[in-house]
Amino acid sequence: MNKDNAMLVWVAAFLLSMVFFYALDLGVMGAQGLPLNFDLTPAQ
Amino acid sequence: MPRSGVEVRSRAMPFIAVMVFLSWAGLSILGPQFAASPSPLDALIPPVMADTSTQAATENLTPAPRPGPSDYPDMGVSSRSLVWVVAQMHLFFAAFVLAVPLFVLVIEWIGFRSGDNRYDDMAHEFMKISMSAYSITALFGGTLAFALFLLYPHFMGYLMRVFDSQVLVYPILFFLESIFLYLYYYSWNRLSRGNAKWLHLTLGLVLNGVGTTLLVVANAWASFMMAPTGVDESGAVTGSIWEIIRGPLWNPLNLHRFIANIAFGGAVVGAYAAYKFLSAQSAADKAHYDWMGYTSNFIAILAFLPLPFAGYWLMAEIYAYSQQMGITAMGGILAWLFVVQAVLIGTILMAGNYYLWSGMSRIEGPPRYRGFTKYIAFVLVVCFLIWVTPHTLILTSGEMAALGGSHHKFLGPLGIMPAKNIAVNLMLVFTFLSFQLYRRADKVITVSWENRGNALMSAIYIIAVINIIFAGVYYGYFTNTVYKVGSSVIQVMSTLTVIVSGIVIDTLMFKNAGTLKARWGMVSDRSQYALFALPVAFTWLMALMGYVRSNVRTHWHVYSIMKDNSPDNFIPAIGHAGNMMTMVTVMFILMVLFIFWISSLDKSRIR
Repeated sequence: MNKDNAMLVWVAAFLLSMVFFYALDLGVMGAQGLPLNFDLTPAQ
Repeated sequence: MPRSGVEVRSRAMPFIAVMVFLSWAGLSILGPQFAASPSPLDALIPPVMADTSTQAATENLTPAPRPGPSDYPDMGVSSRSLVWVVAQMHLFFAAFVLAVPLFVLVIEWIGFRSGDNRYDDMAHEFMKISMSAYSITALFGGTLAFALFLLYPHFMGYLMRVFDSQVLVYPILFFLESIFLYLYYYSWNRLSRGNAKWLHLTLGLVLNGVGTTLLVVANAWASFMMAPTGVDESGAVTGSIWEIIRGPLWNPLNLHRFIANIAFGGAVVGAYAAYKFLSAQSAADKAHYDWMGYTSNFIAILAFLPLPFAGYWLMAEIYAYSQQMGITAMGGILAWLFVVQAVLIGTILMAGNYYLWSGMSRIEGPPRYRGFTKYIAFVLVVCFLIWVTPHTLILTSGEMAALGGSHHKFLGPLGIMPAKNIAVNLMLVFTFLSFQLYRRADKVITVSWENRGNALMSAIYIIAVINIIFAGVYYGYFTNTVYKVGSSVIQVMSTLTVIVSGIVIDTLMFKNAGTLKARWGMVSDRSQYALFALPVAFTWLMALMGYVRSNVRTHWHVYSIMKDNSPDNFIPAIGHAGNMMTMVTVMFILMVLFIFWISSLDKSRIR
């Protein structure tokens, strides 16, 4: 495996993991009736 | 002489027929909702007991008894302390003897599938230890029943009235448990070949089915005392037996105890393996018991990893049932015990990790992953320190003045749950990393996608750790409580994702992998002391958290239904409780050592 491919593999692995964990966070919070709140605003 | 499959099957038919009959009859007793048709055993039960329907129950609206202080027998010693010791000893041994057959069955099945007799020998030897403990379990169980009926007659009378014929299910199950336990153990060699092995595995399966049912039946009594259902405010029975059993805490308690028992059982047999390893004279025996110790540690730690989540569910249900009860547990006097819990869990995780790191020295060839251990150790120690940081301290006015307030600058942020949640989850993730590295240490992976698999696994670890820290810091400190609680589920799911994906990726990656030679027995004696530390910490932990679970009822026998008016109707001082827990832990460990000694008197090896 050459260097470019190795870089591609690592980037793909990180992107895949990030998408998975974002979906997980969204699903888990959504199941509890809570939105994913990224704007530092305390929930009401 | 080996028997043909047809012959074995024909011999097994009566056994299967008896099992089907007992299951049908047993389910009929459990409650009408379990049974499709009436059971012949109904005829043996008085009509009011056989019919546990709502209509029959509502006709008997007798409230719970209200005993006064003079109604409790005075034996000259604290009744609570007496029952405390006996109940805890019974629970220790019961947890052990119910757990061992669970993983023994899995090990036996692995041995059968792989054709490797070493697994079969090890499973058989695990059962040998369990058999020695079984009679002690029954003795403590009988003593506990006598003590409860003698010292708390009104309370026990009420429980008998509420659970009615359900109580009879317990001795029936106990008889079945004994029968199948003896059948399973003593038929081991006779049913060891061909189709007969399937019959033996079936015996093990039935044994575990009965044992687990025994567990959940007893749990119904404990969960009813904490969160009664199926009764009105006065304690009169208004619901069916099923409504009484399935209280809000029943299933969380079932899951928590089921997992905890496996971890506890694994830890105790690990100590047996360490004891035998240290006293072994031959290299073959050392190799055998080293492998046995490794397997025990594997069982104990793997079962332990999801345990905090089961505990979290139980506490969440306690809070949902009664905020007052939840606050008593985690915000009042009992909250200090959760700091002790952190110390004990930290001890378990560090001992388990240390044992795994030591075990890497067994693998031939240059050490591949040993360099990671110092970083894992660093994370574990930092997380451990965060976990044991209390939120508040009991201070004198002088100390408070020196501190500039009741909170130290570190105690405020590190003493609250978000910090603890991060620490716990990271400790679990990094303990799993130790496992994964140990399992990979002797493998030569040959699949073509090795690099892609490793990249994905590394990315999952890194993103999961970031997610756990982010959820804890951001939602824990910068938003309000509803987010704080909700985001802790994100952390749990992140940890579980690492564990599940690690197992799946490794299982696929180890396909056709080469294996480096493991020199079983070539491990330091020091590592065996970690195996001794595990059951001591587990036993103490069970005594500690069992006390907390029971004490959240405060001055109630049955929470909000039947008051405890005995002289012991108060939460004891932490020091007294600590002494009691320590005493039962020492008693159990001494009795376990006695069992090890008894088991070692039989010099004949299993095979």
